[in-house]
Amino acid sequence: MATKAELLEKLKTGVVEYQEDMVKEAAQQALDDGYVPLEMIMDGLAAGMEVVGDLYDRNEYFVPEVLMCADALYAGLDILRPHVPKDETGLNAQVVIGSIQGDVHDIGKNLVKMMFDVAGWEVHDLGRDVPLEKFVEEQMRTDSEVVAMSAMMTTTMLGMKKVIKMIKEKNPNVAIMLGGAPVTKDVANLFGADGYAESAGNAVSEGIKMIGRLREYQKK
Amino acid sequence: MSELSAKERVERVFRREPVDTMPFFSGMGMVLRPAIKELGYKFPQVHRDPEKLARAAILSSKMFGFDSVVVPFDMTCESQAIGNTISIYEDSEDTLYPTIPEKMWKSMDDVNIPSDIADRWPISMIYEAIKIAKKEAPEYPVGAWQLGPFTQAGQVLELDILLKGIFKQKAQVEATLDKLSDMCIAIGQKCQEAGADYITLREMGTGTDLLSPRTWKDVIQPRMRRILAAWKSPKILHICGATNLIIEMMNDCGADAISVDIKNNLAESREKLGQNTLLFGNFDVFALPCKEETTVEEAIQGIKTNIDGGVDAVWPGCDLWPDIKEANMKAIVETTRTYGKKPSPALGRL
Repeated sequence: MATKAELLEKLKTGVVEYQEDMVKEAAQQALDDGYVPLEMIMDGLAAGMEVVGDLYDRNEYFVPEVLMCADALYAGLDILRPHVPKDETGLNAQVVIGSIQGDVHDIGKNLVKMMFDVAGWEVHDLGRDVPLEKFVEEQMRTDSEVVAMSAMMTTTMLGMKKVIKMIKEKNPNVAIMLGGAPVTKDVANLFGADGYAESAGNAVSEGIKMIGRLREYQKK
Repeated sequence: MSELSAKERVERVFRREPVDTMPFFSGMGMVLRPAIKELGYKFPQVHRDPEKLARAAILSSKMFGFDSVVVPFDMTCESQAIGNTISIYEDSEDTLYPTIPEKMWKSMDDVNIPSDIADRWPISMIYEAIKIAKKEAPEYPVGAWQLGPFTQAGQVLELDILLKGIFKQKAQVEATLDKLSDMCIAIGQKCQEAGADYITLREMGTGTDLLSPRTWKDVIQPRMRRILAAWKSPKILHICGATNLIIEMMNDCGADAISVDIKNNLAESREKLGQNTLLFGNFDVFALPCKEETTVEEAIQGIKTNIDGGVDAVWPGCDLWPDIKEANMKAIVETTRTYGKKPSPALGRL
């Protein structure tokens, strides 16, 4: 039987070094040995992703590496997540996410989605090329706390402004996250968004910081 | 010296000869809403009709005093010619460019470029549009462009297949990029045969916010060199996003000029490239001409900063976004003319 520390280290290293098989094996062993799945997710998989974020910030990792790390993380998450009791995350939060109409790019969107998946949120993924009204309808239908939209092109970014206006008119408490290459802090402020990330990698970096904060929160 | 025509000015830029003032031109789309409106077209209609395409490009340049006419505007012609269905957003009143909602090739093994690709519609429509633009606006240089193989791969395959494949299936990635490079060369050559006065290789999605400099050198640079070597001059290499870490490699691909977007630090690029390289771009196509809150004065200041940063032409760092504020756009071009009378790093003045 492996110790908890050994398994956490395997999960973490497996994510950082994009070793899907190592992650799967460690995740399964953690379940077999009776360790708490949520702890394995947060202090193993998510901790590994935090290292990945640092490597990205230091220009040691780039998007291809991050995507492979994300695959490794999902390999572990698929095994561990079904064993986490629904109320154990203490969050019970929902997010509507999608790439805006006219935009079929979804790498950044999928990386941000991963962050919410890790955190145990219920994710309503609308996919890509999503008509503007669909974001509003889905938020109303699910009463989600967060709406996250991405646009890779200036030409589609403007649609975000309309969605924010429509959502905030109906429910001012919804938090809006924007992401994508043309989105700057100025644009996010101007459109009335609550957060932003300017690239797929940056989305990961920002998302990972949020995971880091979540891990700290759960330790309290 | 009397004022040069747009065509003379741009030709002199590429020959490194002194010009009267800095040109305002681009290697990427420059179609603007006011021109489309005046022609009585709707935005989705202009992308697949060579006459509308050419006329929208010409009138955009004439209305705002640009130094070039550029076709096409959208990036889906090749993917459609290969057999993918595209969304043209016919009923939308918003400015939505055509997209490819589903790609028929699901893996790199599926990539099989038809041998007659360069002659297939709608690619052939681009050549027609170039010919029309040359005939109807002989005073303008006509620019054409091609997506580089990595960026084009994202139009025919899911990009994450390629990104992950760089490590896991490198030989297949290289083979895929080679096939797409062949296509890019063939279409670019046909654009030049049709009369394009200059051509831009847009390998947009390979900045270092996506790929490492090592991957760029190993996987991207050899293809840039091969494509550019197969095209006649003038030819420009453009990359979006973070480019400072690869700017010297970009300059070592055989292009006559380098184009970057707003994420490039121009001062750093100049230091690395020296004073003799033609460097374009770094002009924010949203903040200056489009953003509702940007005043004319701010737009003027933005262009002055761009010129002072060390560019040799005011050249949008991306496609111009069609919904511009007319007063800002006119002030931007006017400032280029007046403030650009002083020499730029690589170009003297008459």
